Amino acid sequence: MTGAGLGPLAARLLRAGAGVGLLVSVLFLLSRQQARTALLQAEAAGLSAAAHPTEAAEQQDIRRAQLHRLGLDEPLFYAQYVAAAPGQPAHWRWHGRRNQYHRWLRALAHGQLGTSLRSGRPVGELLRAALAVSVPLMGAAATAATLAALLLGQWLAGHPRRTAPLHLALVGLQSIPGFALALALLLLFANPDVFDWFPVDNLGVETVAGLPDGYAVATLGQFVLPVLALTLSALPGLALPLAAALRHELAAPYAVSARAKGNSLRQLLRRHALPNALLPLIAQLADLLPALVAGAAVVETVFGLPGTGRLLAHAAATHDYPVLVAGVLLVGTARLLALLLADAALLLTDPRLRWPS
Amino acid sequence: MNLIFRLLPWLLPAALLGGCGAPPPAAAPGTVRIRWAHDPESLDPLVQPNQYATEATNLLYQSLLQIDYQAQQPAPALAETLPTTRPEGDSVLLVTYRLRPAARWDDGRPVLAADVAFTLRLLHCPTLPTEGARAQFGFIRALLPDPAHPADPCRFVLRCRGQAPEFALATGDFPILSEHALDPGHTLRRWPLAALADRPGTAPPDSALARVGRRYLAAVLANKLPGTGPYRLTQWQKDHRLTFERKARWWADSLRPRPAVLLARPHRLHYLVLPDDAAAALALRRHALDVYPQVPAPLFARLQAAGPAARLAAATAPSYDVLTAGFNTRRPALADAATRRALARLFDADGLRRATQAGLGLATVGLVSPVSRAFYNDSLRPVPFAPAEAAALLRRAGWQRPSAAAPWQRPATRANQPAQKLTLTLRYRAGETLFETTALQFRAAAQTLGIGVTLLPTEAGALTEALHRGDFDVYVRTLKGNPFVFNYAPILHSRAVGEGNFTGFGTPASDRLIEAVAAAGPATKAPLLRQFQALLQAEAPLVPLFFLPTRLVADRRLRGLAVSGVRPGYAATALYWPAAPAP
Repeated sequence: MTGAGLGPLAARLLRAGAGVGLLVSVLFLLSRQQARTALLQAEAAGLSAAAHPTEAAEQQDIRRAQLHRLGLDEPLFYAQYVAAAPGQPAHWRWHGRRNQYHRWLRALAHGQLGTSLRSGRPVGELLRAALAVSVPLMGAAATAATLAALLLGQWLAGHPRRTAPLHLALVGLQSIPGFALALALLLLFANPDVFDWFPVDNLGVETVAGLPDGYAVATLGQFVLPVLALTLSALPGLALPLAAALRHELAAPYAVSARAKGNSLRQLLRRHALPNALLPLIAQLADLLPALVAGAAVVETVFGLPGTGRLLAHAAATHDYPVLVAGVLLVGTARLLALLLADAALLLTDPRLRWPS
Repeated sequence: MNLIFRLLPWLLPAALLGGCGAPPPAAAPGTVRIRWAHDPESLDPLVQPNQYATEATNLLYQSLLQIDYQAQQPAPALAETLPTTRPEGDSVLLVTYRLRPAARWDDGRPVLAADVAFTLRLLHCPTLPTEGARAQFGFIRALLPDPAHPADPCRFVLRCRGQAPEFALATGDFPILSEHALDPGHTLRRWPLAALADRPGTAPPDSALARVGRRYLAAVLANKLPGTGPYRLTQWQKDHRLTFERKARWWADSLRPRPAVLLARPHRLHYLVLPDDAAAALALRRHALDVYPQVPAPLFARLQAAGPAARLAAATAPSYDVLTAGFNTRRPALADAATRRALARLFDADGLRRATQAGLGLATVGLVSPVSRAFYNDSLRPVPFAPAEAAALLRRAGWQRPSAAAPWQRPATRANQPAQKLTLTLRYRAGETLFETTALQFRAAAQTLGIGVTLLPTEAGALTEALHRGDFDVYVRTLKGNPFVFNYAPILHSRAVGEGNFTGFGTPASDRLIEAVAAAGPATKAPLLRQFQALLQAEAPLVPLFFLPTRLVADRRLRGLAVSGVRPGYAATALYWPAAPAP
């Protein structure tokens, strides 16, 4: 990689980093404004079965004490716009560093992501345990989808007539929602009435000796269906554009010339068309991560895997904002890295990007 | 590549068959595997964020009293008998307990009144997230030695502020924690309980309180908090599974006869967190799961049909959770009882029960379950589904319809106000089939009368906010109840408007009656509750539609499965396999 390529890369990295920072900050500020909702919901869940129900005034006291304990009664940001009141015009009030956002930033700089409102456990610990399941799951699915896309893309482009049904099947697969696909796999391959091949009974996931408590890895059998579901949902999005790009390349004059020189279709595809058609695939790969995270939330719920998708979906449903904000930060950072890697890969594969005229 | 494609049809089935085809895993003797839909999130015995947390902490810790699921009433657990109560003056109640002399911590130390006093003080530690428990047990002002037996460390008297009849049971409803394990230096003893309870939130931090609080939280986070319960947690993979092992020597093993609440039959309890119902049903079908509680209605019917062949047993019992519609009585159009009574006739409770619960559950006239026969007002009849009658009632309430295409209208109650129009918004929790079906049925019935209903399915958090704000005309939700407590102040007293009383309802007469019901003793409670049900039906701020059923499917060979309407609907500790008789 040359200096000519590094400049735009660094600029893009900075822009994306600022974007992630802004997104997480906005989410933090919005979520803190909704903290009362989280407390109300926890109340609704926790107090309804009480033998001695609390009175309305007591509930207000409880909420006040909770807000104080969690530091949510402090000002939200450095400055606050105070609306006009009788005898006082509207104005800005400066709170200095004693505010929730500053406190959160400082903790973040020290690597502390906060504490879950629901479980009282450190968010970092929850995320680490979930990542131990999700990273192998998403990694395996991304690898399988990419390899399958490379194979299928070449096959579809090389034999357009023979593979028309497969092309149609991929288009059909792309239109199936993730949860329907996961449920179909579950009901087909984990069903004592059909094929009882991959039971989803949760006993396949074992704690491995030597790993810290709470870290789990799934056995191969437990992982097959979730990986298959994620792979199948990501595959059409990778294979179909690649096939289209390859077909475009095969129609180019250089391909016709290479074919006239005696190259076989396989040689033509691999040596000449594929390097040129890879560019859209690399861009698609950078977009794969958000799709996989979204798909993982569904797949992990259906197959009962304790991964990040399920953790974040539950945090969103129960308004557990510290977990949600940390999750968005993690996904945003991963996306940033994916974009960076994609840019680097593009620079490596396409000389035109390294030497702009 | 061609080779790969040629081999693919052969490779795929081979790969599929390679890592699978395992026979259904049989349960180890003495092991019971139960499905949970969610993780318990926290096993802090003083803060239980959900039902599963309550269920789990009941295995690890014990209270003075616990629910006997077979008898559906509280029974003594750490306490030897139910407490006796004695009023002192007109504002204090004295509740006397005796702990079981056999009750022991795992290290062999006896459970003493000092542990109960410590737990009550711990609740008030300002650094702990126990605000809810503090409010719930704040009425307990002191723990005193029993004057009749001052030397007995197992006897004590709880001095309560107020004389509500439910105090007798409420004083036994918190897990007892070990003073020796958490505060060996007895630092909390220097605080009188009332002084801790009244300590203002703005008081300067106290190092002793903070130290004990930190020690407690560290023990909770490490899952090392000692308890007197029969099980210890041996594995907890969040969002995945929990395993509880039976203690080899547990203090209650020596009790003869053994009360139902002190049974602990399974040697091991596996709780599998399977959020997806289809996955849980499949696991049950292949006997990788033994108990599936709270089964959705359609799945229950299918599992019930598959029952004999699949070696499954399905059981059901009426629960104390009631599907309820509520009206916002602060809206001018809904401020009068006549209009609310008319609209209540547009809910087809029986039809909904058939459609959503396969006919299970119980029709009701009010918030008291028909199962509680002594308190249920059987001289009333459930509100019928009668649109024609509703139209007549609306006309009687002053509503008119100028033409077939025009909405119902009536003159404003005050001058300078526009005429009232009867168009409604109905809020319910989004994604919940039961609420959605109810809302759609109401809208369809209302449309036949020309009443426009806009459905507002709302996310759970936003719905709670909207109900607190009063941003609705009608809501549909489930009210959770139990057979022990009949205090309706939090949902219907005028003091609770803006908090739990979302309807905004409350008249001096209804407030008085609700207070009388809450304060009534066993002798006077029944007539007051009957009166309350009649008032609720006449005023109709809430329309209880029907009590939901508890549905449970389990392995047919499992014994000790007493399905109950009280959550969680069964007692895991009473289950056993016939081959492994109960200890």
